[in-house]
Amino acid sequence: MINLDEFVSFIEDNFDLVSGVPCSYFKEFLSYIASQEDKSTIKHLSATREDEAIAIATGAALSKKQPLVYMQNSGLGNIGDALTSLVQLYKLPILILMSYRGLKEDNDFPEHSIMGKINNSFLGSLNLVYWDLNEKDWEVSIQKAITVMDEQSSPVVLMVKKGVLSQ
Amino acid sequence: MKGYEVISSLQDHIGENDLIVSSNGNISREVYHYLAKPQVYLRGSMGLPIGVGLGLAVMNPEKRVTVITGDGNLLMGFGSVITAAYYKPHNLKILILDNSQYFTTGGQQTVSSVINFSKFLESLNIDYFQSLKASQSILNDNLENFLTTKGLNILHLIIEEGKKELANIPWHPIRIAENFLQRFD
Ligand SMILES: Cc1ncc(C[n+]2csc(CCOP(=O)(O)OP(=O)(O)O)c2C)c(N)n1
Ligand SMILES: [Mg+2]
Repeated sequence: MINLDEFVSFIEDNFDLVSGVPCSYFKEFLSYIASQEDKSTIKHLSATREDEAIAIATGAALSKKQPLVYMQNSGLGNIGDALTSLVQLYKLPILILMSYRGLKEDNDFPEHSIMGKINNSFLGSLNLVYWDLNEKDWEVSIQKAITVMDEQSSPVVLMVKKGVLSQ
Repeated sequence: MKGYEVISSLQDHIGENDLIVSSNGNISREVYHYLAKPQVYLRGSMGLPIGVGLGLAVMNPEKRVTVITGDGNLLMGFGSVITAAYYKPHNLKILILDNSQYFTTGGQQTVSSVINFSKFLESLNIDYFQSLKASQSILNDNLENFLTTKGLNILHLIIEEGKKELANIPWHPIRIAENFLQRFD
């Protein structure tokens, strides 16, 4: 797992708002964020749906604040219109941390199996740029995401596999 | 009273410090034509105006954010009313223009009429709420309170169907965003 002190302090330095719907793959990350709630410079809003999280992030981005969204890849099925008729249409930079469910280790979770298989083609057909948030060089992968997001003024997705932001 | 009449009545209340988010279809078009520009005119993202307003409000506590949403949009993103009510930003105002229709797509009925809005809004423990039938005197008596009471305020107005023929919003969404972002330079 990524060192959460370092990771969250990086997030605090580079983002103003965090919103999303949880996945167990974010468990430790989210409890760390919750424990910081009072002292943190970053606002966290729990969303009822992934497209709502995208909308909240859009509000931040439209006032020159930097938002971060987290969601399970099952939520990918919920954000198509929020991306195509809002974030991509208005050209807004939003970083999305997306847990990658439906890989080998999710054998006992058939609910993720189909999205797991089509994950990349789904992201591809939405013209989303994405790569993994690597445990080892996480700072490089997220820094690169921020650069691309700002240069293209577009959303960028970082896929988060098991054990990267949770035990 | 029709939706565009309510929207044009907001003219006298809206100033430099106001950020407006309007839901897709007819309402965005009316907000573009009747109120000071630029604002956030949603072209699509049905169901998401309250979420966008919530993000704007929490990030800009010194501004007043007003979301103008149709009932169809409200219903599609109903969870966002709950999220807004939970976080209660002191500067967020939600105006629901309820014609019980998807008016923009041809007037198909929505299911909004089953909601008892007074009871529902009361249950949210928010700072201001009213559920009223729109008329000039109702607006005279309530708009100011709705906009100036500190807190999360929700005004639900029953409106008549109908519109003025207005040209489409001439700005591409990229331009909408660029112009709006300039307000934060
Ligand atoms: C996801 C999605 N589904 C359907 C539509 C088509 N659509 C555009 S406006 C609209 C009606 C919106 O209704 P409401 O918010 O009540 O506003 P009104 O048209 O009544 O002013 C619909 C269904 C759409 N734009 N997006
Ligand atoms: Mg309607």
